[in-house]
This record gives sequence, C-alpha cells and structure tokens, in this order.
Amino acid sequence: MSRSIMLRGTVVLAVVLTATMADAQDSPDYFRQNCMNCHTIGGGRLTGPDLKDLSKRRVGRDWMIDFLLNPKAVIDAGDSYAQEIFDASGGKVYMPVGPGMTKQRAEDLLDLIDAESKLEKSQFKGRQFSNKPFTTADRKRGRQIFEGTQQLKAGGASCISCHSMHDTPALGGGRLGPDLTEVVTRLKGRKSLSAWLVAPGTETMQPIFKGHPMSDDEIHSLVAYFEASAGKSPSEPSANRIALLLMGLVGAAGLVFVFDSLWKRRFHNVRRQLVDVSSPGDHP
Amino acid sequence: MSQHFLDQFLFVALPYVCLFTFLLVTVARYRMQSYSYSSLSSQFLENEHHFWAVVPFHYGILVVTAGHLIAFLIPRTILAWNSHPLRLYVLEVSALAFGLLTLVGLVGVIVRRFSNTKIRTVTTFTDWLLFAMLLLQTISGISVALFHPWGSAWFASNLSPYLWSIFKLGPDVTYVAAMPHMVKFHIVLAFLTIGFFPFTRLVHVLVIPNPFLWRKPQVVRWYRKR
Repeated sequence: MSRSIMLRGTVVLAVVLTATMADAQDSPDYFRQNCMNCHTIGGGRLTGPDLKDLSKRRVGRDWMIDFLLNPKAVIDAGDSYAQEIFDASGGKVYMPVGPGMTKQRAEDLLDLIDAESKLEKSQFKGRQFSNKPFTTADRKRGRQIFEGTQQLKAGGASCISCHSMHDTPALGGGRLGPDLTEVVTRLKGRKSLSAWLVAPGTETMQPIFKGHPMSDDEIHSLVAYFEASAGKSPSEPSANRIALLLMGLVGAAGLVFVFDSLWKRRFHNVRRQLVDVSSPGDHP
Repeated sequence: MSQHFLDQFLFVALPYVCLFTFLLVTVARYRMQSYSYSSLSSQFLENEHHFWAVVPFHYGILVVTAGHLIAFLIPRTILAWNSHPLRLYVLEVSALAFGLLTLVGLVGVIVRRFSNTKIRTVTTFTDWLLFAMLLLQTISGISVALFHPWGSAWFASNLSPYLWSIFKLGPDVTYVAAMPHMVKFHIVLAFLTIGFFPFTRLVHVLVIPNPFLWRKPQVVRWYRKR
C-alpha cells in the first residue's frame, strides 16, 4: 500500500516538474543571446546574413519557420535558397537550432525582426570593432588568455578547458568543443569572429559567458591569436589521448604499488603484536 | 518525445525524484531497519583476494567522488588552479589514475563475488544491480575523461552551476543540454545511483565507524581452548 502511494507520488512529481518548465525568456533577450553572434539587423553580414527586411526575401514566412525549427534538415533536403545561404556562410557550419525553439518562438522572432527592420537604427545593428592591425603583443596575450595563464576579467572559463589549438602544449587542449586553429576561416574572418565572441552562440558556451562576457580588449587579443593560427595544422587528438591514458595507467599502477608497500605485512603485524601483548608466552 | 522535453525529464524531474527518494528512504530505513545499515563484510568468508579488490576500489572511488564534490562546492578555485596548463594536466592525470584504480578494484570486487561460491551465496540481486551501475558509471567516467577533456574545467564552469541550480530549486538545464551523450549518461546514472542508494549496501557510507580512527585497537580471539 505504502509502496503504491510512494510510486504514484513519484510519478506525479515527475510529470508536474516536467510539465511546468516553461521558457519565459522574451524575444529581444532571446535574439541578443542566440542570434546576434552571427546576425545583425541592418549592420551588415557576419557569419550569417544581415536579417534586415527578412520578410521581403523570396521565401515565405512558413519557409522561415521551418528553417528556424531545423536548419540542417532544410539545407540537407536540397532546398536551393537554404543551400545559397549555407554556401555564403562558408558551407561548413550549419546554423544551430536555437535552444528551446518552438513554432511560437520562431513566429515571435520573425515578428521582432520585422519590427526592428522598420527602425532607422535597430538595437541589433551590432557592435563596432577596432580595425587596427594586430601586434605581436596582441597575439601573445591572446594565447595567454586561451591557455588560461591570463584569466578572463569577468571570470569566464579559459578556452583550453574545452578547445585545442595547433600549438597547445603537452597533452593539448580540451575536446568538448572543436579545435580552434581554423576558427577565423570557419567563421568568415575577423569581424564575424569578434561579433561571435561577444555572445558565443553554441549551447555549451552560451550559459558560461551569459554572465561572464569577454571584454572588447580580450576579444581583440584572442582574435589576433586565432588569425595568426589560420592555415596551420590542427592538433592531433589521438596521440594526446594515448599519452593521457598511459600516464593514468602508470599512476594507477603506482598507487597499487604504494598500497602493497604500506600493507605488505597486513596479515601479520597488527594481530601478532596484539596477541603478544594480551597473552605473553602463549605461542612459540 | 522532443529533445527539449527529454532534457527536462532527465535533468530536472529525474534528479528531484532521485534526491527526494534518497532523503526519504534513507531516513525511513534508518528508523525502521537500523541494523540493516551495513555493507555486510565478506572478509571472513574470503580474505585472499579481498584486499586487492576492496582497497583499490575504496581509495579510488573516495578520491574521485571527493573531486566531484570539491568542483561542485568551489568551482572558482578549481578554475583558478587550472589557470596554468601544467596544473590542469596534473589534476586530470591524477583524477584519471584514481578512476582507473576504481575500475581495477571494482572489477576485482565483481570477479571475487562471482567466482567464490560462499560469497556468491550471500550476494543479492540488489548487490549485482548496484555493481552493474557502478561499473557502467566508472567506465563512462573514464571515457569522458579520455574523450571529452578537460572535465575538471568544464565541470566547474558548466556542471557546477547546473547542480547548484537544482539545489536552489531553479533548475537550469541549458548548462547540460548540449553536452555529449556520454556526459549526459554519466549525469543521469549518477542521479539514478543516488536514488538507488538507500535500497542498497551503499548506506554503510553513512555509518562509517569513525571511532575506529581513535579508539584503542582490539583483538578478537577464541575464548575456549583450541
């Protein structure tokens, strides 16, 4: 009886908790956090196209909604307009599905883009970045930020936690995210990469940097380092992985050796001494 | 079932169900079956392989679990420690070594229980299920360490805020939504193990005989003449 009540209570709790997780984020915030890293409204092209007057493009609103719900599926289905956009973005990186994207969310975003397109200057026109040439000091500082020896001012995690570069030392960088040696090429140059780093748009990076954004100065240095790395060969993950495994195995074997040394006479010494004390002369 | 709904179920509903089960059943079992709070040592039944199974397993899992707990409690300190690649590598290699030690010990525990008739007799279905869960958890943890480095860093930046969001009753699944499948599996199995905890021999963790550390040693002997 009590088991049955507990089971029912558990099921009800699970259903209620799951059903009540509503996404309350409004459209401008959503656009700022998820779209601005690749798009502007009236600020020119970044990795993705400028979205000003989106509703006047040759595809209709239904197409836009389908695309927002699953860009990869539309591109892979051979749609000519989707292919055109994909090729213009470099033909390598698919637009990700926005977090918690629904048909209603897509409708709201399209309404927002329409409204912003009518303004002389949209709030999503994008930030202006310095065009000054990169120096050796910029590149050096960028590498320090990447590897973490110079920590990000707002407390964001260093890039090496999840990414690798062609010249990351010893065991290499993290592998949760991609190798960034060619990131300047993938994201279509300095301006697009800088805009992307203002609010990194992947689902993994977004929550980290939402509360810990990088400063313009830090972005400048990182882009300098990334630009200098373009064209180099990315790091080799399998060699680093084997080295890590071997080091771990050596460490584990060393620990087993330590245990054996510490307790070599584990079957004898403690008990023998205690028996000696409690009954002297009771054994040979 | 959409990915969004599945994530909400696995990383919001399931953790709460497991944590509440852990809290309620742990207390209920202690109140109703206090004497069942034990790991039911099998050392008297077999003492030859016992050491090589239990000692590596316990030292391994204690250190690895403590590492997860520290990264959860003081993530900024872990990130500060990792701010030099050499220190990051030292931490990761050490964690992997203790993870492998856990695996060696756990495989030893399972083989010993399976191969010795006397011990197999006192091993319950719940024990076998627990061993299977711990084995999968250890293997997935080692896989994550090898294939998705550097866990100590991204645990501190992504999983610690997610776990805090659970405890603060404002679950934020965005921190884990895009994690690789192996990482998600490791998280889900961790919560399932926490939920399963009060039904298993794992409860002995809560009644560690701490006085062993300071009381005088005792020797147990036969009273009669042999």
